[in-house]
Amino acid sequence: MLQWSDRSPQQWREFVNQEVCVTARDQQRFEGRVFTVDPVSASVVLVSFLEHECPSVKVILGHAVTDVQILASGTEETERRMKSLFLPDRTQVLSK
Amino acid sequence: SPRFIALCPTTLSSSSSGRADEEEQRLRSDLRERFLRTLLSMTDKQVEFNMHEKVRVRARFGASDIDVLNFQVSDLETPLGVQREALLRSQDVISCSFEL
Amino acid sequence: VSWRSSLPPSERPGERRTSEMKKLYGKDAAKIQGMETAMQLTFDRNCDKKQPKYWPVIPLNL
Repeated sequence: MLQWSDRSPQQWREFVNQEVCVTARDQQRFEGRVFTVDPVSASVVLVSFLEHECPSVKVILGHAVTDVQILASGTEETERRMKSLFLPDRTQVLSK
Repeated sequence: SPRFIALCPTTLSSSSSGRADEEEQRLRSDLRERFLRTLLSMTDKQVEFNMHEKVRVRARFGASDIDVLNFQVSDLETPLGVQREALLRSQDVISCSFEL
Repeated sequence: VSWRSSLPPSERPGERRTSEMKKLYGKDAAKIQGMETAMQLTFDRNCDKKQPKYWPVIPLNL
């Protein structure tokens, strides 16, 4: 299997909006919904929505990722919700 | 540049398949923009860094260089006390997490 | 500070990089390049102003 960091944008895009389990070096596991995979560093950004709590974000550095397994598919609603977290109005510096 | 060659082995060799290239560029832009927005949303947040050798530290996130090699942070809580200003090597880091 | 040494060697930064960005990001190259430049500027400015030191001093991941 192709190393995680050597995959193509198409292959990374398949994981976006899916609920996944990322395995990293040292056998650590991280679960959440994929917001993006950075095409430069292959880092995976996971979002978790927990009830009555702030959404939490985890970035797993591409060099440490050994495997990513899909647990469940996302919907339009999960994609919309996730995107709204990072919209330009929350991060105005970028909107120009 | 080396960065480009590392990023773009496929597009370099094939100049023929225009539409496939465009699709790949579109996907790459979207993924990259989302990542840059993620880094921006980390700015000034308390971030927990989970590093090699079971080292866990907290710090206030400042910025990253665009190649994601270094994280510039403030008030880093190390096991030996607080370091006011610090750089973390991304190679030392497995993951980092924060709340929005 | 040694983070400077992680940058690519001193080729002319402007033109070559723009054509590379175009190949990587196509129509969106200017937007991505703008975002990256802003981020790198923030990083450089913070490093100049705050003079952060590497922690830990020796890399963990050898």
